[in-house]
Amino acid sequence: MLEYIVSKYNFWVYVILLLIGLYAMVGKKNLVKKLIGMNIFQSAVILFYVSIGVKKGGATVPIFLGDAHAAHGHGHAIINVASYINPLPHVLMLTAIVVSIATTGVALAVLILIFRRYKTLELDEIMKIRKDTGV
Amino acid sequence: MKVIAILIIVLTGALLISGVEDMPDWGDPNSPANSHVSPKYIQEALEKTATPNMVTAVLGDYRGYDTMGETAVIFTAGIGCILMLRKKRKGEGD
Repeated sequence: MLEYIVSKYNFWVYVILLLIGLYAMVGKKNLVKKLIGMNIFQSAVILFYVSIGVKKGGATVPIFLGDAHAAHGHGHAIINVASYINPLPHVLMLTAIVVSIATTGVALAVLILIFRRYKTLELDEIMKIRKDTGV
Repeated sequence: MKVIAILIIVLTGALLISGVEDMPDWGDPNSPANSHVSPKYIQEALEKTATPNMVTAVLGDYRGYDTMGETAVIFTAGIGCILMLRKKRKGEGD
């Protein structure tokens, strides 16, 4: 059983991280804590994707080693696929990080508006004020 | 509230952990993600785009439209923040 867990421990870590984020989003009443939970959730997904691109056995970062101009000039440079890790998850997660920054920024702006109107960021207090005033 | 949250966590966790055993091993060079399209990017990126950095080649060349849409996302988010947080003029309402 322990061997089974250790052989794929990276996925277990992402599952735990994702569940922490999900719990913060669903269970917490403070809106800022919900937002932090969303960021933890996104971090778990980003780490998951990056770990998919890993190759064991001497693979390095996906930047071409050696004289790039000479290799380009001669045309067919022989590039060993096993010596570079997978660049595709890195590209996709670059896009995902940018989108997560955008969503976090917009969410913080919305939180500022909510605080200006209700003077609190606790969800239950906001719902109580809405019920009492009918707004 | 808390009970519902913990119920959701347990259900989601069970679903995710049941999927873990189908995932490839850590660092497997022959996993599906590493063997389908990415060898093509690694082998052809330098020749076709003259860019030593494969991440840059894929981001700017192969998936250029994706990056263009990403700038649209950033622009929309920035405009949204400005419209929400700017100082209101007099008589413009709440």
